[in-house]
Amino acid sequence: MMNKMNQIDSIKRRTALKAGAAAAGMMAVPGLLQANDKPKELIVRAWGGAWGEALKAGVADPFTAATGIKVRLDFTEDNEIKPKIWAAVDQGRIPPIHVNWDTSTNATISALRGVTVDLSDLSNLEGLLPLAKPAGLEGYPLVNTYAYVYVCAYRSEAFPDGAPTSWNVLLDPKFKGRIALYDDGIGFNPISVIAGGGTFADIPGNMEPGYEFYKKLKQNEPLLGEDSDFTTWFQKGEIDVACTISVNARAAQQNGIDVKWTVPEEGCKVDTDGLWIPKGLPTNEEFWAKEFVNFALSKEAQEKWCSMLGLPPVYPGITPPEDLVGDPSYPTKAEDFAKLVSVPSPVLVENQPIWFAKFNEIFQS
Amino acid sequence: MTRQSVLWTLLDKVESVALTLWPMKFRGATGYLFIAPALLLVGILLIGLGYMMEYSLHELDTATYRLKEAYSFGNYLFFAEQPVYLRILLRTLLAATLVTFFTLLLAFPYAYVMVRTQSALVRKLLLVSLFLPFFIGQVVRAYGWLIILGQQGIVNTLLVKMGLPTLDLIYNYGAVIFGLVQYMLPFAVLLIVPAVTAISEDMELAAESLGANWIRTFRHVVLPMARPGLVGAGIVVFTLTMTDFAMPEILGGGTTDFIASAIYDSFFQLSNSGLGAALSMVLVAIGSLLVALVFWLTGAGTLSIRSEAP
Repeated sequence: MMNKMNQIDSIKRRTALKAGAAAAGMMAVPGLLQANDKPKELIVRAWGGAWGEALKAGVADPFTAATGIKVRLDFTEDNEIKPKIWAAVDQGRIPPIHVNWDTSTNATISALRGVTVDLSDLSNLEGLLPLAKPAGLEGYPLVNTYAYVYVCAYRSEAFPDGAPTSWNVLLDPKFKGRIALYDDGIGFNPISVIAGGGTFADIPGNMEPGYEFYKKLKQNEPLLGEDSDFTTWFQKGEIDVACTISVNARAAQQNGIDVKWTVPEEGCKVDTDGLWIPKGLPTNEEFWAKEFVNFALSKEAQEKWCSMLGLPPVYPGITPPEDLVGDPSYPTKAEDFAKLVSVPSPVLVENQPIWFAKFNEIFQS
Repeated sequence: MTRQSVLWTLLDKVESVALTLWPMKFRGATGYLFIAPALLLVGILLIGLGYMMEYSLHELDTATYRLKEAYSFGNYLFFAEQPVYLRILLRTLLAATLVTFFTLLLAFPYAYVMVRTQSALVRKLLLVSLFLPFFIGQVVRAYGWLIILGQQGIVNTLLVKMGLPTLDLIYNYGAVIFGLVQYMLPFAVLLIVPAVTAISEDMELAAESLGANWIRTFRHVVLPMARPGLVGAGIVVFTLTMTDFAMPEILGGGTTDFIASAIYDSFFQLSNSGLGAALSMVLVAIGSLLVALVFWLTGAGTLSIRSEAP
């Protein structure tokens, strides 16, 4: 608790010092003094369920306590907020949100479109793990906040002999109609290549082994859905095994659903999520949105936020939650990451439309 | 000045203002003035369609995730070259045909009984059953079916209690068709009821008195006379099914996408508004052509709309 208070105080001090210095420098330009006026609230787009709860408890509430600015979480689907922000920026309107909590891939697309604010001047960027830096982009049009792994989640009742060791379990006729993937193949496309007999070097040049694996998988009639679908399907006993983010499996388990997870021998895809701020906000709102992102990168916020999610933060040296110590889905060291499959966001951005089209062609046949 | 004379003076003022704004010589156009708001709304829709058409002629530049300036038919060519889109389109059209057939098959007897029944109680029950689903949204209804038909749903629970194996009743094409028929049924009944009401019972009695049994009466009198309602209901059910998104998404298990899902994916998952617009234009074109074909086959007066000036 003391640490928390100290951290908040330190943020207050930093903010006050920064605001004071800015104010002194801007005395000659009175209009700019409004830049640091506190808005009534900040709107942060977030995912719901366990995700939203973690952001609220780990970042939003402590930020409000430190600054007095209310944080409203907007649960609009990430893919649906994207065109709204883009249209607002292009039309010179104020964007509908202040901060977007997004997948790094989607955030990279927005960065390529030029609608994101540069975050290079955030003081808390210093000392973060290299994972925080967006790959293939100049500066910080977004900042990665943690890594996550698309694990093999399974119903333990369906696996009395222990966890599945290979992704080939998805091809087992025993599980026909009782397996699930994301409806765009996200989280599994690179793995399908390895499970299909290819290697990491084949990605993205030769995805054929993956497509062949998908064709076999199609025979096993998988269900295709989103995060919330997986939880529901596990809960209702509709599926036995799925490729999903460890957060969802852990949240389901914590809610009493019979779900465990593993990293099979082929590995799992590891990805990052990040935060970004849309261009076109009033100066003071952009300032405080940056303060919010800066706060989300602080040790205190990262510790609580990422512990609740069960994900490795970009702030170094944070102890994993007890239940995830030694869990391969919680990579912390370089050798942990080496066991996982990481495709840089620019490669994903360039190739995902092609992979998606092929995925659709196979599974919608 | 009495209260009444104040009222009359006020009304005179209103009338004179109305005459200034809309002089007597424009009286013949008064009727058109009333449809002006509706025309305006349709006009806005056409403007939107114009934008969609424009978008559809620009390809996505994945380096900037913006549509290219140059005009091209690239998105339409992409649609034509990808077998998956044709497959999804055919699946959608087949579903629209099946749903229309089964819905009309179920809706017609429902509407007929509701109109002809002598029992006020039966009529009320049918009316309540008809309107109740309108108070429940499509998504909620689809989730309702998931609860009823799922692995641990009511149906499978009963099967297990009877010692029978469980059945896969959801997350397939059949479940989508079933959900859509259930969703469309009230729309179809509402559109058929006025047509059945317009058929005089005397006509049926006359047919019977001339020796026709009820099957022949139904076939040669009731069905032809109810054609405006059946065609109208058919068009509404067909077009609504063709553009449906929620039922295939929720009851289909992700592998029975309709064209609306492909449009959604293009706009939101792929951020390719050009391709999404092209798919939308294809859907609009096919829908319009099919409706035109129905009118052409069934005659211009099908919906009891006067086709020529008297």
